[in-house]
Amino acid sequence: MIKLTINGKLVQADEGDMLLTVIRREGIDVPSQCHHQAVEPSGACRLCMVEITRQEWDGWSKFVTSCLYPVEDGLIVTTHSAKVIQLRKTIIDLYLARHPNSTEIMRLASEYGITRTTYETVVDGDDCIMCGLCTRICAHMGFSAISTVGRGHDKEIAPPLKEAPTDCTGCLSCANNCPTNFIEFTRDSNSLTIWGRTFETLACSQCGKATITREFAEHLSKTRDIPIAYFEVCDDCHRKETAKTMGRVVNWTREVQA
Amino acid sequence: MNFRFVVNPEVCTGCRTCELACAFAHPHDSKPGKSRIYPIDGGFKELWVPVTCLQCDDAACVKSCLVDALKRNPVTGAIELNREMCVMCMACVAACPFGCALLDPGQDAVVKCDLCGGDPVCAHFCPTKALSYVPIKKKDRIAG
Repeated sequence: MIKLTINGKLVQADEGDMLLTVIRREGIDVPSQCHHQAVEPSGACRLCMVEITRQEWDGWSKFVTSCLYPVEDGLIVTTHSAKVIQLRKTIIDLYLARHPNSTEIMRLASEYGITRTTYETVVDGDDCIMCGLCTRICAHMGFSAISTVGRGHDKEIAPPLKEAPTDCTGCLSCANNCPTNFIEFTRDSNSLTIWGRTFETLACSQCGKATITREFAEHLSKTRDIPIAYFEVCDDCHRKETAKTMGRVVNWTREVQA
Repeated sequence: MNFRFVVNPEVCTGCRTCELACAFAHPHDSKPGKSRIYPIDGGFKELWVPVTCLQCDDAACVKSCLVDALKRNPVTGAIELNREMCVMCMACVAACPFGCALLDPGQDAVVKCDLCGGDPVCAHFCPTKALSYVPIKKKDRIAG
């Protein structure tokens, strides 16, 4: 058991816990865009910066990304000191210059009292903050269909060779977890298009409601040993079927008892 | 796992009190959440079946989860969803053959019955005791 101080409060944590996890557990609001519990932290967005010091450092302190910093005994953490807030404001300021149209960045900026960026605004900027959460989740799910492509200003998230990805199954985990909702997909009654590839979605055999894509269902049934028939009925119709089946059993016992 | 959740459709009147109890026991942003239990018409006269998660031994939802967000709580025996780890791929919603992993559009999250952490609220409110949470008798207990 490790003992550390967060904002003046003595906190216990387990060996190997990351600072951000412990800070969040204490109910302290530290912003972060690239953090997700399902995947390894990467420290890409830099927003979870905190100030750390120790008794023996004689007043010296340093700034670390809390998502990547493992807890240590005797650490003194400050999450909202004037210096940290200034640092965070600078980062948000830079984000605001690069992604002026992103509602998530605007929300963050307003939370920290920034109304306009002090830097030069990028005119044709998009909303992708290059946090890489989509690529990490895609890799963790075992697809690795997308990755960062290029360097510097040309860096972007794209499938290999920027062609329709063959490894993608259209599970939409990248789009659903994108902090700025940048990843776009289109959906109609029986198909779904993401990363330039169109997938056929399975339709419920009873009510016709679209469920997951055929590729994703086939992947799950192959790797996870789930009958493909499970995916051919939507959850509402599955519940109705369960009620009908149970109803027949109960009615049979009623008739037997009568 | 000393207790089990028992559903007895024979005495269910379809009053939907359990649905309300569940929604109010799982609120979000001070609003009632999506219910995890649904009394559905069983297809015969005066027959309602409260459909809820059966906490299957070899559960399709657990198998379908590619990020291990669904885990069985060893104390209550309920399969619980760690919402922090869920990546919203909807695999469990599509895979459950009983349709009991649900999408809550109000909070944009997947929800499922967690037996309220070992004290199901629906069982407390069921007026006819069609839902009950009872101790497992020694003779009913499966070895291991």
